[in-house]
Amino acid sequence: MSRSNTIKRLLVITGLLAVFVVMAYPLVWMINLSMRTGGESTIRFYREVWQAGPFDRYFLNSTIVVTLVLIGNILFCSMAGYAFARYRIPAGKILFFLVISTIMLPKQVILVPMYILMQKLHLLDTYAALTLPFLADPFNIFLIRQYLVSIPPDCEEAARLEGAGEFTVLFRVVMPVLKPALAVVAIHTSLINWNSFLFPFILTNSTSMRTLPVGLALLSQGQHSIDWGHMMAGAVISALPVVVAFLIFQRQIISGLTSGMTR
Amino acid sequence: MEPTRIIQTKRRGLPPPLMFLLPWAVVYAAFFVFPFVFSFLLSFLSYNPLSTQETSWTGISNFSRLFEDPDFQQALRNTLLFVIVTVPLTTAAALGLALLLRERVPGRDLFKAGFFLPSILSMVVISLLFKLFYAPTGALNGALTTIGLGGHPWLTDPRTALPAIMLMDVWAAVGYYAVIFFAAFTSIPDELYEAASLEGSGTWSTFRYVTFPMLKPVIGFVVVINTIRSFQIFIEVFVMTQGGPLGSTNTLVLYLYETAFRKLDYGYASVIAYVVFLLSGVFSIFAIRRLKPSYTAAKKAV
Amino acid sequence: MNKRLSAIILGVGVALVFSCSGKDRDGEVIHFWQFWDVAFVEPLVREFEAKHPGVRVEIEQLTWKSGLEKIQAAVASGTQPDLCELGSTWVPRFSYEGVLEDLTAVYNEIADSFLMWESAMWKGRVYGLPWVQGSRVLFYNKSLFRSAGLDPEEPPRTWKDLLDAAKRIHALGTDIHGFGLNLGERYVLYKKFMAFAWGNGGRILGDDGSVLFDSPENLEALEFYLELADYSLKEKQEVLDHYFKSGKLGIQISGAWNLRNYSIEAPGLEYGVALVPKPSEEKGVHASFAGAEILIVFKNSKKKESALELARFLHDYPRARALSVSEQSVFPAAKRALSDSTFLRDAKRRVFVEQAFTSRSAPAHPGWIEMEDLINRSLEEVLYGRKEPAGALKKAAAGVKAIVTKYE
Repeated sequence: MSRSNTIKRLLVITGLLAVFVVMAYPLVWMINLSMRTGGESTIRFYREVWQAGPFDRYFLNSTIVVTLVLIGNILFCSMAGYAFARYRIPAGKILFFLVISTIMLPKQVILVPMYILMQKLHLLDTYAALTLPFLADPFNIFLIRQYLVSIPPDCEEAARLEGAGEFTVLFRVVMPVLKPALAVVAIHTSLINWNSFLFPFILTNSTSMRTLPVGLALLSQGQHSIDWGHMMAGAVISALPVVVAFLIFQRQIISGLTSGMTR
Repeated sequence: MEPTRIIQTKRRGLPPPLMFLLPWAVVYAAFFVFPFVFSFLLSFLSYNPLSTQETSWTGISNFSRLFEDPDFQQALRNTLLFVIVTVPLTTAAALGLALLLRERVPGRDLFKAGFFLPSILSMVVISLLFKLFYAPTGALNGALTTIGLGGHPWLTDPRTALPAIMLMDVWAAVGYYAVIFFAAFTSIPDELYEAASLEGSGTWSTFRYVTFPMLKPVIGFVVVINTIRSFQIFIEVFVMTQGGPLGSTNTLVLYLYETAFRKLDYGYASVIAYVVFLLSGVFSIFAIRRLKPSYTAAKKAV
Repeated sequence: MNKRLSAIILGVGVALVFSCSGKDRDGEVIHFWQFWDVAFVEPLVREFEAKHPGVRVEIEQLTWKSGLEKIQAAVASGTQPDLCELGSTWVPRFSYEGVLEDLTAVYNEIADSFLMWESAMWKGRVYGLPWVQGSRVLFYNKSLFRSAGLDPEEPPRTWKDLLDAAKRIHALGTDIHGFGLNLGERYVLYKKFMAFAWGNGGRILGDDGSVLFDSPENLEALEFYLELADYSLKEKQEVLDHYFKSGKLGIQISGAWNLRNYSIEAPGLEYGVALVPKPSEEKGVHASFAGAEILIVFKNSKKKESALELARFLHDYPRARALSVSEQSVFPAAKRALSDSTFLRDAKRRVFVEQAFTSRSAPAHPGWIEMEDLINRSLEEVLYGRKEPAGALKKAAAGVKAIVTKYE
């Protein structure tokens, strides 16, 4: 290995390390907040948060919601993103604009009409209200479309020449190529829905339908003050499954993210 | 939409592209058409959900109010500033970070996970955390004092409140977009790099003529998504400053939120929502035009 | 190919099935939306159910930050609860819009036993029952008083005492602050300033709806407040509470939430609480701000009778007391609290109960939320040195006048 290469690597590592410290500092501080009271280290806040409500139920609800929404998004957004990237669709530009427009309007303004709609459909306080509107996130459709347009459609054409149908092309040829983008889709969709507060709070009423962020918000709120210890313990508790999932699926995610690199 | 194909299909039923779009279309039609139409109509109405009186048409008077409302104008200025500063900053930083991560150095996975950590937390938690972090007794001032610099009331000083929130947003988002860029690197065929290195291309020119053109669609994606999100900045200011001090962190969505839910002026709030909609639309179209994907161009360039 | 499509449709269908969760409708069910930890309220509600066989109460907890949106969405779709808790600043708008049940008859019966009726009134009618309240009082650090040569058992009683104490403590060191002045946040500024203005006989609105915000009394109070600012740490409430906890803030005006927090987080902190100082021994009152929680019944409720019964049951002294005891940062709105040893045996809690008698809440006006913005902004401009007190008050008063006209 040449000397300039070694220097370059050293510089890269130093840079990465510096950013790492800056990124991690507030988080370390957060964990510290959740475990300290009057100068002593404690897990009291964690225990109290856990005992303060049916957190097993909240966990279950969040997991159900995230799983359903995740499956929906991977399937539906791949389909839609593929269609936008590869076909000439009548009024395609307008349709694509419609897709993005769903995220361009501030969601605060559709809060009340969404509630009215769910009420008329008798979906309030159900899993349907928590999942159905979020099954095809425009973010994901957009991402998949952008990712696909940078890849030449050679393989797909080869498959078609061999007589593969359109669904076979999508599921057998395109989806494997999409792996890195789908890894991002999976991360994005799980995080957004795992942390989502406003719509789940508005659209559910009973304790048994509450998701984790709603349960936590109801727990650590003060009218005029913030209960930092419990609040941060709650934040750590809700982030923990994500970290664990990240560690478990790391191999898949990373292999998804790097599948093209070693090609 | 460069590489498009017209697929001739002889099968009966819906043509494939429409079939592929169907699930999205069903979700959209079922859950978004009504709220969109509803909120659009509201902009021409004087509506509040509590009122027992008949809702009345107000024509375009909700729109003309924009021009004589100093609070709206301040919120507009703050939001534009926020978008113009944070979007390029986040994109550039994320791209740089992704490039660093491309180097095969020891502990790379750990770094990647570390950069990604802030994205795991919800914005509410991040905002609460930074409210404390920026406080006079917070960790930032503590660190500044340790290295001999004085502290500063970051969020109480009208000059520093918005920049402090901007920095927090860059911190929170940069790792996320870096991962997206990292994923996109994988779609660049190795042959392009091999060709570039055979021709003796340096680091910068490889980036300029290979990486950047190939990344254009994804950069376009990140810029558009980040622009749309930044125009809607809300939780940060709602939790940290409530728009203050002196309105220096008031943003369009915070203002529309207050207008609708606190002042019960839903019509005017809808108008502000559509201002956000229009602005992010214009900015997005501009970004998409400028960052048109072109894998053929990249191939030619090498 | 269509098989796949039908599979997808089936998937959506399955998801829809989830929605059909059954809810039993036998017996009477009262929907009650409120903001407290359900663990505090549930025992009270169960007690009510035991007394009213056949009636079931479903409690839903709302968050302070997003509760109002949910109530509005529910009213918009006609699915509002039967009984609901509202913050005192929200009630007037609800009263004005005509969605609340008129409770004037109940008021006439029990008016004298409760404080905090003001925000539930509009145009001579009463639309809610005061449940619990929380006033703000003066917190002072006894050790800092000692260091500054002040008697720790003699809290400031007048503006002059207050200014003098703040000055002396402020001079103790660069990291010690005399007074804690709220700045950098919305919704709070007027609560602290008006304590002085009200004490000086000032008002925001007169009883007849006239605008009095630019009165000489208010100007005098603002000028004093500005003088106090020179010896103050100017920060958000949380930051002030935190500084006070760390023993670096001499005096501040804050709420009962600190009593619990300080006893847990800073058991060694030596502090006292006192009534908010009045202009002078001869003049004014020890006024302060108090927020109240009001129980309202929606006019459209089909179970108004039971809902009102539940409201009266909850706001009745024993239940309001039980809630206050478990919650620890509020007090019953009933006057009886002042003769209850539960609150009197603790010297600090006693002050809170006493302070409530000379406290006020925001003016009962449907346009208050808009007025509040104007008032807070003008105070902010004065405290940041952007505007002169007189001009700022005048400008805010003109804005308030325009709002009053709008709602006439």
